[in-house]
Amino acid sequence: MTPPDLWRLSLENLWRTKLRSVLTTLGVVIGIGALVSMVSFGVGLQENVTKQFRENDLFTSMQVMPVDVDVAEIMSGNIEPPVTATALTDSALDVIRTLPQVEIAFPEIRFPVTVRAFGSEATTSLQAVPAAMGSYKPFSEIEYGGFYKSDSDSVVVITERFLAELGYRLEEAEAVDTRDGESSDDELVAVSVDSIIGREIEVASSTLDLESAARSFMRSFAPPSRIPLKEEVVRLKVVGVRSTESGFGGARYRGGIVVPIDIGIAMPRLGFSDVWDLLDDSGEAEGYASVYVRTKDMEDVTPVREAVEEMGFGVLAMVDELEEIKQGFLIMDGILGAVGTIALVVAALGIINTMVTSILERTREIGVMKALGGSETDIKWIFFSEAATIGFFGGAFGLALAWVVTRVANVVANHFLRPQGVPEVDLFYMPIWLIAGAMAFAVAVSLLAGLYPASRAARVDPVQALRHD
Amino acid sequence: MTPFVRTSDLFKTYQKGTVPIPVLRGVSLEMEKGQYVSIVGRSGSGKSTLLNLLGGLDTATSGHIVVGDSEVTSMSRSELAVHRRSTVGMIFQSFNLIPSRTALENITLALAFGSHPRSDRRRRATELLTSVGLEHRLRHTPGELSGGEAQRVAIARALSNDPDVLLADEPTGNLDSRTAKEIVELLVALNRERGLTVVMVSHDEEAAREVSHRVFRLLDGRVVDELSGRSGA
Repeated sequence: MTPPDLWRLSLENLWRTKLRSVLTTLGVVIGIGALVSMVSFGVGLQENVTKQFRENDLFTSMQVMPVDVDVAEIMSGNIEPPVTATALTDSALDVIRTLPQVEIAFPEIRFPVTVRAFGSEATTSLQAVPAAMGSYKPFSEIEYGGFYKSDSDSVVVITERFLAELGYRLEEAEAVDTRDGESSDDELVAVSVDSIIGREIEVASSTLDLESAARSFMRSFAPPSRIPLKEEVVRLKVVGVRSTESGFGGARYRGGIVVPIDIGIAMPRLGFSDVWDLLDDSGEAEGYASVYVRTKDMEDVTPVREAVEEMGFGVLAMVDELEEIKQGFLIMDGILGAVGTIALVVAALGIINTMVTSILERTREIGVMKALGGSETDIKWIFFSEAATIGFFGGAFGLALAWVVTRVANVVANHFLRPQGVPEVDLFYMPIWLIAGAMAFAVAVSLLAGLYPASRAARVDPVQALRHD
Repeated sequence: MTPFVRTSDLFKTYQKGTVPIPVLRGVSLEMEKGQYVSIVGRSGSGKSTLLNLLGGLDTATSGHIVVGDSEVTSMSRSELAVHRRSTVGMIFQSFNLIPSRTALENITLALAFGSHPRSDRRRRATELLTSVGLEHRLRHTPGELSGGEAQRVAIARALSNDPDVLLADEPTGNLDSRTAKEIVELLVALNRERGLTVVMVSHDEEAAREVSHRVFRLLDGRVVDELSGRSGA
């Protein structure tokens, strides 16, 4: 018997007992539907998380620091002042930049500033970023205006959130997220993008006023009652407005304003820009607190990390956590899959029951087939192919069921998540391997279920079978 | 002339619990190619068992069966399947057609077991049914056929893989006398025109003698007599 013969014969045989075949197949449909829905939820979750990580360059970026940082130590609350091994100077930065896998590297400069603009004033954090970062998220997706093209232009990119702190909202923008109880939409003054882009704003940074401190000390021979601060003001032109960030990576650029790197470096500021500066008791002012390094690919992170560590610096890279995250998701997928498999095991018992019943009913037919020259292998394959057919249709319709269930669940979930400000997200993901795997699993489980009935059918004694009523 | 079918000292014993039930007790007989041979005897004499052994449906307890050049008694189970599909064709008292399949499909199934090319099966099955006078019953299921028609379908099916020997187990047992006569005439015609060796089990000794070249009488699992057959045998 050829495979097409077996396939045709099994379809004909199953068609003879339509209701029973449909009910048995339905068991597999539900089993595969449950299995695929559950695993696709797990895979979807993993996909969403890693996608967020990837989109925000968390797997290709790392933070280089002049110290060997032990994150676990810090998390446990043991904040021993780290010993600076090597200063993170411009020359060290140049060496890092020459590594072949490094795409971009720049010092992380962030400090508090006071911004006076559009007749209002607010305090925010300034971040200095090179113009080259305009090619990457989030700066490649500036909603209004654009990102700057030069590292030395006196320009600035602001966020919608910061605009709201100044008391304004963009007419063109959708409602501002008010989850954290900030100013609600109604209290904000609507302004057009055109009236913001191109306007100059004043950015004031504070620096220690040693002169006035010395003068005051000379006058009263007493230490000043408060830290004497001097304000330095620069005027910057707004070139772009970013919408409020969401997602993991947003935190890195959550600063209210972003300025070209040279402008940021040139701005006078207090002698520290990072918590490590406060902890650093070496008194060494030279070098940066940290440097942002972005590699070309995920695989480049390890060689770059090794090279940088060899130079005596500490490296924090999110990619380290990737394997752990993957493992966690694998365990979750396994648990979800196991729950789904229970339904499939029940379906397999249904197949066994159906096929054993079928053999009892068709005993005489088996005898006839043997009398016609059907070998034990032929008979075995006839019943095997019936089981496989149940598995095939069960798998195909099960996948269809899973698709419908996950689509509906997705719509329902997004319906409830949207009012909470969560952007539209696909909670379920059905990759090709899951579809192919589920089909193969359905057929494999069905074949396994058909193993006993098929071998029982093959062993039927033809003489007895031909006498069977 | 070398015998085409030969059994020697053939024994078959069934086991009922711990009690052995001997059915055949040393059957030795020979048949030549192209002969019409009948095996007669009372119920329980071992006629059908002998036929099942010749057809490879059952295995002997001891003794030998040779069909053509092949020793059937030393065949494996898969070799017996090949023997059933290519050397012998079997028909039964109760026809044993598959009730859910049409006359045509009953035959194409046998052709599928015989590895007949898929594209030619329908043509071959139609040809076979036409040869037994059933060209108008191709798409009828066994339930829609008369007893005589059902047995003709069974004969067409038995011939589907061009066997050397046709084994007929009381083929007229379920038929009225007129139809029974027609079926026997068909078997005789097949024997005469195609030179097909026919081994028929029957309880009607007189009728068997009329059409057979040779008639063996079985009693309690032994050949007790060889009766003279039709003239010219």
